Amino acid sequence: MSAGSPETAVALRVELERRLGENADRVLLRILTARNQKPIELTGRAILDRGAALARQLSQAPEGGVSLVLMPHSVELFLLHFGLILSGRLPAILAWPTNRIDPEKYQRNLLHQLRNLPAAELLTLPRLAANLGPGLPFRTVGASIEGAEQFEKSFAVDLAIEDRPSAVETGVSPGDAVFLQFSGGTTGAQKCVVVTARMLERQMERLAEFLRFGREDGVVSWLPMYHDMGLIACLWFPLWHGAPSMQFSASDWLLEPDLLFRFAEQYKATHCWLPNFAFSYMAAQKERMRGPYALGGMRAFVNCSEPVRTRSFGAFAEAFGEWGVRREQLQASYAMAENVFAVTQTPEGTVPARYPRDAVRQETGNGRGHAFDLMEDVYVSSGRLLEGMELRIRTAEGGEAGEGVPGGIEIRTESLFGGYWGNDGFRRQALSDDGWYSTGDFGFVSQGELYVIGRTKDIIIVGGQNVFPEDVEAIVNGAPGIYPGRVVAFGVTDEEQGTESLAVVAELRGEWEEGAAKRIEREIKGLVLSAIGIAPRFVRVTPERWIVKSTAGKISRSETRARFMSERHSGSRTGRTEATVNG
Amino acid sequence: MDRETIAAAARAVVAEMTGAEVDGDEPLISSGRIDSLSILKLITKLEQRLNIRMPTEKLQPDDFETVDWIVDTVERTAEGL
Repeated sequence: MSAGSPETAVALRVELERRLGENADRVLLRILTARNQKPIELTGRAILDRGAALARQLSQAPEGGVSLVLMPHSVELFLLHFGLILSGRLPAILAWPTNRIDPEKYQRNLLHQLRNLPAAELLTLPRLAANLGPGLPFRTVGASIEGAEQFEKSFAVDLAIEDRPSAVETGVSPGDAVFLQFSGGTTGAQKCVVVTARMLERQMERLAEFLRFGREDGVVSWLPMYHDMGLIACLWFPLWHGAPSMQFSASDWLLEPDLLFRFAEQYKATHCWLPNFAFSYMAAQKERMRGPYALGGMRAFVNCSEPVRTRSFGAFAEAFGEWGVRREQLQASYAMAENVFAVTQTPEGTVPARYPRDAVRQETGNGRGHAFDLMEDVYVSSGRLLEGMELRIRTAEGGEAGEGVPGGIEIRTESLFGGYWGNDGFRRQALSDDGWYSTGDFGFVSQGELYVIGRTKDIIIVGGQNVFPEDVEAIVNGAPGIYPGRVVAFGVTDEEQGTESLAVVAELRGEWEEGAAKRIEREIKGLVLSAIGIAPRFVRVTPERWIVKSTAGKISRSETRARFMSERHSGSRTGRTEATVNG
Repeated sequence: MDRETIAAAARAVVAEMTGAEVDGDEPLISSGRIDSLSILKLITKLEQRLNIRMPTEKLQPDDFETVDWIVDTVERTAEGL
């Protein structure tokens, strides 16, 4: 750690104020709020002044208190994040829902998630605040933002709240905590990474060193602030270094993907971060784009948060080569909220290395690596370690893996987190005695490059969003006609879209009936969609005893998935054999 | 171009993408029948079938929520009708 790293939240705030003050008259943030209007421009001074005013107006949280923020993409969301930090509160941004949720189920689910959190307040839009307030043990504030009616129209339902929960002890935040970041999950128990002053500053500095990033650079982003790639790489990182960023919403990008290129050209951006599916999506939409755009000035399109596919990179490079995109601009990074952001990154000016799948020494045991399948016969490198980061690969037997041997990825870094915040308040995370953190990802190292194969945990990443199978299974368990506890959710590679799709298998209770199975499949799709805003692409209701169990009687996700994939390819639907695997 | 022609094209495109016949008021996006990454594909197919151009800067995902809304959206925004 450098001698100058701020060790307390107060010191970090002072440094942030200084940096914003240095750029008082310079535009640091551009935010598009409506596609038919010009972006709103915020200078360093405007972020300081307007952020502070908004925090003063809305927040009554004590210093160190947690302010949950649930707002759509808006100028106020950006200002509030910084305003709360600068006034000593700890903001935690919750994911704004898609328009695909059922309003009542969403709000009830939200109440269930939030009611035991030791937060000081929830800052959200007026209608949501009115609906949720009676069911939450802390202050709920409705903030008017421009266009709130548009965002709130889904929530114009009366939510009958029967019981107001008793107050939760808010506890005392560590003096070095700056903000909280939800690390994923949809409906289950929420937990946030506590981002401290030292973690944040070290990540900002180490990433800038590696990318040689400075105030002459610029970032363009459609990524939401509740995602570490959006909040850290695309917002904090440029702002900390005095570089401008251009922010617009994911829904605008979906309908006009070339906004990314238009803004990159217009504002001379040099960097953007995208999940893998975005490379495939943009390439597929080239015909709709109004280019040409001059993209030769981009230094990096960084592929992060999903496994990197050569096919997606190839399609992107081929589609946009005539607009100046070069293979060496397409980079990769391995990042996670627990490390604030990046652990590894492709060195600038190089094409990410590849490693033949057949050459990986499979000493994995236990069928790990089933977490997802590759569409391709090569693995793509996620790059090299940033300074201040260490990484090792643990085999299933607990030893350290050699060159090209896969195992669990463990990291020990300057920006590694120390704990979570959740229903139990601030909790320290147990690391190994010598400070290593087991990431739950699975991969190998060769020639100093990290290759991520999959996850040892079963998290499914759909369009860059983490979905925990346990959450989906809990939702589907409530579907009528389903054998309780006999539900499995997993990810299936979606080749066309370059991401994973959600699949659910559930057993029908009682006599097998094809018509009933079909009906319940439709119900399950709607149920999951309304609860988490993501529709399963595949839902299969099967006869009893279809789902594969281990000899210990525990449901095996990986083997059930393998059976699903195998029968999907062979077209079988109702195999009645009970399948069992060891382990 | 009359509404029935547009509606028939919209139903055909939706059937091609989802494998199901849908009623005019059946939710498409919010039901998950068509995911948000496929909206542009739907627009492109509509444009090809009706030989029109729909400027995406005037469009919102909600505009494609049902076949009936798609017909309204085509009438409101399409160039070359």
